[in-house]
Amino acid sequence: MASSIANSTPAGTPTSQGKSLSLLQRRIKKFKSLKRGYYSFLIVLGLYAFSFILLFFINNKALIVHYNGEYYFPVFKEYIAAKTLGMTEDGEAPVNFRKLQAKFEQENGANWLVMPPYPWDPDERDQETKIVDEAGETVNYPYPPSSTHWLGTDPSGRDVFARMAYGFRVSISFALLLTIINYSLGSALGGLMGYYGKKIDLFGQRLLEVWSNIPFFFLVLIVSSIIQPSFIILIFLLSLFGWIGMSYLMRGEFLREKAKDYVSAAISLGASDSQIIFKHILPNSLTPIIATLPFAIIGGISTLVGLDYLGFGLQGKLPSWGEMLQIGNDNKEHLWLLLSPIGAMFITLLLMTFIGEALREAFDPKEYSRLR
Amino acid sequence: MFQYFIRRILLMIPTFIACTIVVFLIIEITPGGPFDQAIMSAQQQQQVSESGGSGGSDKGGQQIPEEAKEALKKYFNLDKPLPLRYLHWFGNVMTGDFGESYKYSEPAITVIASRFPVSIYFGVIGFVLGYAVCIPLGLYKAIKHNSVFDISSSLLVFIGYAIPGFAFGALLLAVFGRQLGWFPIGGFRSEGWEYLGTWDKVVDQLHHTVLPIICYMIGSFATLTVIMKNSLMENLGQDYVRTAFAKGLTERRVIFVHALRNSLIPIVTGLGHAFGLLLAGSLLIEKTFGIPGIGMLQYETVLNRDYTVIMALTVIGVTIQLTGNIFSDLLYATVDPRIRFR
Repeated sequence: MASSIANSTPAGTPTSQGKSLSLLQRRIKKFKSLKRGYYSFLIVLGLYAFSFILLFFINNKALIVHYNGEYYFPVFKEYIAAKTLGMTEDGEAPVNFRKLQAKFEQENGANWLVMPPYPWDPDERDQETKIVDEAGETVNYPYPPSSTHWLGTDPSGRDVFARMAYGFRVSISFALLLTIINYSLGSALGGLMGYYGKKIDLFGQRLLEVWSNIPFFFLVLIVSSIIQPSFIILIFLLSLFGWIGMSYLMRGEFLREKAKDYVSAAISLGASDSQIIFKHILPNSLTPIIATLPFAIIGGISTLVGLDYLGFGLQGKLPSWGEMLQIGNDNKEHLWLLLSPIGAMFITLLLMTFIGEALREAFDPKEYSRLR
Repeated sequence: MFQYFIRRILLMIPTFIACTIVVFLIIEITPGGPFDQAIMSAQQQQQVSESGGSGGSDKGGQQIPEEAKEALKKYFNLDKPLPLRYLHWFGNVMTGDFGESYKYSEPAITVIASRFPVSIYFGVIGFVLGYAVCIPLGLYKAIKHNSVFDISSSLLVFIGYAIPGFAFGALLLAVFGRQLGWFPIGGFRSEGWEYLGTWDKVVDQLHHTVLPIICYMIGSFATLTVIMKNSLMENLGQDYVRTAFAKGLTERRVIFVHALRNSLIPIVTGLGHAFGLLLAGSLLIEKTFGIPGIGMLQYETVLNRDYTVIMALTVIGVTIQLTGNIFSDLLYATVDPRIRFR
């Protein structure tokens, strides 16, 4: 529908500068004017960009250490032996920089270090903090939220806030990569079927029917329970079936666009198939891709959370919201364990929904006219 | 039309076979199947008895006699090549024999049949309530487009999109089950339900139903409401609505008699797919609430590598889905006279 606008509008609408805008520019302008969606987009983009330098903000390794006149940058290093920095009693063990910081402060010498603002690693068990309740008994894990651990720790003593923050990066990266692969595969196969039609289309349709009726989530569970997939393999597994939805949409787009005059014109001018596909039809068929993108990312995040929740996802290889949710569900008496991942997921998905609504309105507008 | 559906039903057969082949192949070629597990447990048992007897020799007990291995292979049908195994399995399925569950030592079909009523119970209630809420809500939102009610209820729709049913379920369970104690913390019925009086049975059942049903509804709430609203909005802009108004009909009659009927089309055609979901249960919600339905069974069979039950579930799942698709098309053709399948 939107592509028909593309062909019927000759030169775009003139702007104040007297320059005409392309359809894409006008759509982007429309998207920017939808404040809720646009700001959500900026927030998600900002947070995701920030999540790549999270290392400097949430981490248990010091950013800079000045020791005996030399500078160390442990944050970039996998491992520094404790004795290198004068923690002789810990020997070859990795340095505990929080302890080192306390030591330096006590010595009050020329040595100093800068810790990240939130000095906990998502995979680290807190073995230093001891909490004592009113009765004088030591409190075991999970620790409730405090100024040390903003959202407390989980039952194995890992910092919930750090896990939640790193889980954001994992979730978005996972969903983004999965969506890109699904969309590329789906567009390629759907486009081929729509463009070449005939036998390819018929064959493809049969294949799609089989593929789409396989209980794939169940199958992913089976395979995942056996091979314990890594991040990449899990994406590979999911993308084996995830492309189907997009292929339907793109097949439809290509079928419709191919019947239009501008394609006939291109063919009669002697354009090759690849020129027609990539230069003529594809740019006019981007609407389903862009308008569904945020919802596909929501789907990707939810799938990862679901798999991790069942224990068949990344299986503890990376901090994940699904695993946190499962831990929270198993420890219902400690509500913060449940509220943290649900809150993080809720805010992220809500922002994504806002983006999705705005994109849809900008790229695939439906005007409703009513008499009364 | 009739021919079209006959052809569709016949096409179900190759699709069904292809689907089961894919699943069969995948679970057969992945390691860690029942045979491997039987070998492993046999090795462990030997090791335990060895170390108990001779004081912990590590070398012994690793080997299982070849004859025993062969017998095991025969038991799991692994002595035959893969295509033959599939044919063997397929032949059995055609005669209604799905094999015996490794875990429960009962016919797979019995195991599944015992779980079905639970999933259907939740499925039907969630389904009916979902439609009963979403259709009027979507309708009202369309009529009062851009009103305060429309905008504030859109917020609910957004929340519905943004929170997966099972996650919300976990939260509900923790707050209303664990912290406040208003509802039981999961399960289908209380223990000893059979011994309760009729009235107590009903109360107990309802008590266990409320929270899961909310989660089932959340899943479809956002989508259904939006479909209903957009569909009615679209119809209200059509010429036939203009004509109806021009004839001097009341707004009430135009909306409820003329426009509503047509705007229910996309909702009705979704019924076929909903039917499939209804029978399949929801793995994540059932797991959260500890409801012993089909979804929970899927989870358990995956954990136990109970391959006969997995294949039986696949057969049932694929059949339901294929029937649901055809059912959907049939409904589509019935409610929309413009549609003609050839």
